[in-house]
Amino acid sequence: MIALPLSALIVGFLAVYLFLPAVPPRWADYVAIAILAGLDALVGALRNWLERRFDEAIFVSGFFANMVLAALLAYFGDKLGVDLYLAVVVALGIRIFNNLGRTRALFVTARVEARRARTAAAQ
Amino acid sequence: MATLLAQRKHWIISMTVVCLVLGGLLGVQVHTQQVRGLTEVGRQTGALISRLTEAEAQLDKQQEEIERLRGLQAEYEQEAASEKGLVRLMTEELGNARIALGLLPVKGPGVVLELADSTMMAGGEFGGQDVYVIHDFDLVQIANELWAAGAEAISINGQRLVSGSAITCSARLIKVNDVTISGPFTLKVIGNKKNLMSALNIRDGALDRLRVLQFQVKLMPEDEIVVPPISVGSRYEYAQPLQKEEKQ
Repeated sequence: MIALPLSALIVGFLAVYLFLPAVPPRWADYVAIAILAGLDALVGALRNWLERRFDEAIFVSGFFANMVLAALLAYFGDKLGVDLYLAVVVALGIRIFNNLGRTRALFVTARVEARRARTAAAQ
Repeated sequence: MATLLAQRKHWIISMTVVCLVLGGLLGVQVHTQQVRGLTEVGRQTGALISRLTEAEAQLDKQQEEIERLRGLQAEYEQEAASEKGLVRLMTEELGNARIALGLLPVKGPGVVLELADSTMMAGGEFGGQDVYVIHDFDLVQIANELWAAGAEAISINGQRLVSGSAITCSARLIKVNDVTISGPFTLKVIGNKKNLMSALNIRDGALDRLRVLQFQVKLMPEDEIVVPPISVGSRYEYAQPLQKEEKQ
């Protein structure tokens, strides 16, 4: 189930890394921002899935829209001479971190509850 | 059950697409960062290479210069060995240069000027003590007038005046060529006696002013004066002769 998305990740990475030329260095910041936004969407989806309120449409639209918006925000920051790039990095970083923390907590609660259920069944 | 499965499959497909895009972006970024690192290293290497080439070019130039000078030296040595006119000419030239630099004692006709402080009492009708002693600027003015009158060699209390000589005042003493001297002052000047005498005795000139204040001024022409060489030769640390090909 998880194998297909994982292999897609690797295939996408290798395909671009091996066969496409590097982007100009001044684009690198925007690509980095987009990657951060994508990771944020992915981690958010994981959390939502564990909380049983995962919605595919919201996930896919959020993934692409957030990527573009984050990169656009950084770009406009550059044009205005404001370091919005940093604001985006900080905001997304905090979100990713929070979501990962929530995910871990959900996993732990799930396992504790499972063990409790097992001991209850044994008694 | 079938709808659930279909839903799940759909979910996996969208997740796969998203992961493909994310993987691609990661690939771009990693690639870009690697290229960026490479170009930075390349830039540094380029700078180093250009500096090396520059240094090598300079080395070549200097080696050429060494070759040229060696050739010149050999030429001179050959001339010296064959005792042609060049040696005599060069010795003469060198002698002139040495006189100009004050490296040789010289003798000739000229004037001797003796100066001592005023006999008037300090605090007299013209002011405090400062007015009645000989200052560095008095000597500078006299030396200037002597040079202007065609003096060829001047010494003050045995200190030869050359092109770089400074006459300065330091704590009530006078320094010439960085050597402290004190009055009475004796100036030995080689040059045309008549011209020098009239230059010093000119109306409202330096000596005129001193005489009014009763300084002890003694000026006498002499037929043979010996002016000593400069005690400390000048060194040229910063000034370099301009080579012809360097002229712009």
